[in-house]
Amino acid sequence: MYARTSWVQPSVLPGFGLAFGTAFAFVTLIVVIPIAALVLKAGSLPLAELWRIATEPRALASYRLSFGASLLAATLNAGFGLVVAWVLVRYRFPGRRFVDAVIDLPFALPTAVSGIALATVFGPNGWIGQWLAPFGIQVAYTWVGVVVALTLIGLPFVVRSVQPALEEVEASLEEAAESLGAGRWTVFRRVILPTIAPALATGFTLALARAVGEYGSVIFIAGNLPMRTEITPLLIVIKLEQFDYTGAAALGFVMLCMSFTMLLAINAVNAWRTRRHRGRR
Amino acid sequence: MSITLEQVSKHYDGTAAIKDVTVDIADGELFVLLGPSGSGKSTLLRAIAGLTPIDHGRIVMHGRDVSGISVREREVGFVFQNYALFRHMTVAENIEFALRARRVPAAERRRRRAELLELVSLQGLDRRLPSELSGGQQQRVAVARALAHQPRVLLLDEPFGALDAKIREELRRSIRAIQRAVGITTILVTHDQEEAFTMADRIGVMDRGRLQEVGEPRELYARPKTRFVATFLGAANLLLGRYEGRGVRVGDSVFPARHPSGSMPTPGTEATVVVRPEDIVIGGGDPGSGARRIGVARVSELEFVGSQERVRLALKANAATVSALSPEAGELVIEAARSAREAEADPLVVGQITPIGAKRIHVLPTRISSLRLIATSDAAAERLQKSRLVRDLSEYMHLTPTVHRARDGASMARCLSGLTVVVPEQGRDPRRVAALLHTGARQILVLLRDERPVQRILIYTQPARSARDSALSAAGSLLRHLDVDATLLVPADERLLYGRRYRDLLDIRRSALQMHGVDVRTECFTGDIIDDLKRRLHEDVPTLLLVGVTSTNGRRALTRGLTELAACPSCAAVLLTSARSDAERGVAAPTFTHVPVATAV
Repeated sequence: MYARTSWVQPSVLPGFGLAFGTAFAFVTLIVVIPIAALVLKAGSLPLAELWRIATEPRALASYRLSFGASLLAATLNAGFGLVVAWVLVRYRFPGRRFVDAVIDLPFALPTAVSGIALATVFGPNGWIGQWLAPFGIQVAYTWVGVVVALTLIGLPFVVRSVQPALEEVEASLEEAAESLGAGRWTVFRRVILPTIAPALATGFTLALARAVGEYGSVIFIAGNLPMRTEITPLLIVIKLEQFDYTGAAALGFVMLCMSFTMLLAINAVNAWRTRRHRGRR
Repeated sequence: MSITLEQVSKHYDGTAAIKDVTVDIADGELFVLLGPSGSGKSTLLRAIAGLTPIDHGRIVMHGRDVSGISVREREVGFVFQNYALFRHMTVAENIEFALRARRVPAAERRRRRAELLELVSLQGLDRRLPSELSGGQQQRVAVARALAHQPRVLLLDEPFGALDAKIREELRRSIRAIQRAVGITTILVTHDQEEAFTMADRIGVMDRGRLQEVGEPRELYARPKTRFVATFLGAANLLLGRYEGRGVRVGDSVFPARHPSGSMPTPGTEATVVVRPEDIVIGGGDPGSGARRIGVARVSELEFVGSQERVRLALKANAATVSALSPEAGELVIEAARSAREAEADPLVVGQITPIGAKRIHVLPTRISSLRLIATSDAAAERLQKSRLVRDLSEYMHLTPTVHRARDGASMARCLSGLTVVVPEQGRDPRRVAALLHTGARQILVLLRDERPVQRILIYTQPARSARDSALSAAGSLLRHLDVDATLLVPADERLLYGRRYRDLLDIRRSALQMHGVDVRTECFTGDIIDDLKRRLHEDVPTLLLVGVTSTNGRRALTRGLTELAACPSCAAVLLTSARSDAERGVAAPTFTHVPVATAV
């Protein structure tokens, strides 16, 4: 017998070489090369210049809006998306299938269309905007509008992640908690929520990632005032329109780093939780 | 009583998952619900816990009616089949869950947790997660968790299902020890009879939603009341014997036996006989063993299983040696078991011819021991086989119906045995149906129209104890298996007819329950029984009319109106039971034979 030194896990499925090669080539072509090009372009700038562009007041304001609004939208989605998923999984009501299908619409709709629709509805004379205006609440063309747009496009991510997890919560777990004297709220908080937490975290992460990169729907409702309602992707487009390719690349690089760090952090927390709960065997 | 169930029923989409379960469970008792999968045992356990609402009946715990109370307030500990441990919580958190829900202070919780972990011998595993424990350890955590809030009842749903054999045995002992130490009333559900035998104080056997029998393990094994229990608990040879003298004849010998109702059935009455494999004696047997000879058999299979040798023998069927499983078979398969020592002392070879006997037999109290469908035409035979009542009876009572084609009354008479089922045949002399009773049949079921399931049984009998007993025990056999109500009609002028005190009426109900395990209502009627029955049959409820007769002449008065009654659309079938052979007496055929031909199609 000889010790197997390969890092390839023995598997009943043949064709590891072919599958791995295809996957590697695909990811390289579609993800790694474009990003490398971006990094190279940004890297062509002297470090001080890169720092100057990245920390311009207008750029800083756009980061704050982009990441702040995205976090807020993803948090809202985590809360309400959970409720939507709960209703869809736990109750049988007329029109359930319809609601279930509607959830996916933000996936399919061109983002510009949803942006324009939102701007119309939430505008000062829009269906909803006209009722909010008397209270001094303005949604369209403010940061609130940005959050609304980002919430819309992020909702399906949370619902679709949580739904299967909720469906798989064993009835006996809830029954056990009840037989031990737990009330409904306790059952939810101490038994159901911890069980679906990983799925909820995944949904949150996906919604956040999508929101940070969103462009189409936001620019129609945001008003795009520099320093106030201008998101980073828009700022990049503006720089491109001015043929400031290196400037655009610099901002893109900053976004790349921040997004990557954020996703890595969330995944790390999630992995730690999962490892803690599903057996260090 | 710790737990009392009264006529608990539960239906899912119209089919009954639990039917009329009535049982008392004593304080500190370990009661095992045993049954095949789908028998309703888990549903019953969940109903007791309050996890499944019931449709009908009452559940009383420690004197408190809990039928409408949620699981939260029932103060029960429930151990689920898959344990249902909270995987994101440590062992300590799992065990303390019930205490936290009750806002017990932390110090008290810790003390109780330590106590429980010691009880289930898992000290020091507080900080582990369920996924870090073995299956057996998880199971014990589940038990500890269920006991934390000091419930008065512990319910276990197939607690050892997912474990391998060795651990299972160990856990059985430890659960039993824990149960004794805590002294908690416990109900355990299982499909494993060995588990039931080793753990139970009492066993309740369930089949098709009904609690078939309740008793101590030894009692149930030695003296089952139904075919189902006889065959479900261990191996059993089922034979058809006949009452003769002071016992029951099986093969070459008459074995002493008494009918549980006290009165000896008429000689010649068919009986279902259970012989356990270990009671079969192969070879001459030593004279001191008290074994009686059944017949001569051929050894067909030998199987050595360590402590025992299992022997299969083929026995030729004859008039006194009949299999209860397939009465028509020409050969019976007898299973015997002997100890390794016996096997060594008297080795057998396959093909060897040897006399066999039995040390003891057990006679089932049921009056319906076989179903014989008798027809003289193809149409009738087909109708009999398609009959819903026959199908239900044979399925629920675990009987195999046999079809006899008779050419005429004389050949019909030769087939009479057990429960004879006939239809009034078109174009034939309906007197033949009656001739059957005349020639010695003891139970005749005349199918009239049973497209719809029978919903009630109306019983009336001649005022003689033997007539009533034979009718009630037949009703008992039916009621145990069909989802019906039974009403015994008693003349209001009981004193006159019975020459006894009127209080008898209540006694009838009690004795029916005790002896035949059947809960019948008793209702009085005044005036003519036929008029009363006609009035009752006026309701559109498919009814089986059960008529108990003796051979005395009074029976003519009783059967006089049957033709009219049989014509009622809600009269689905008539079952006649005869307490004494009519042939001996030569009584004339009863008038009910003039069943209108129109109903015979």
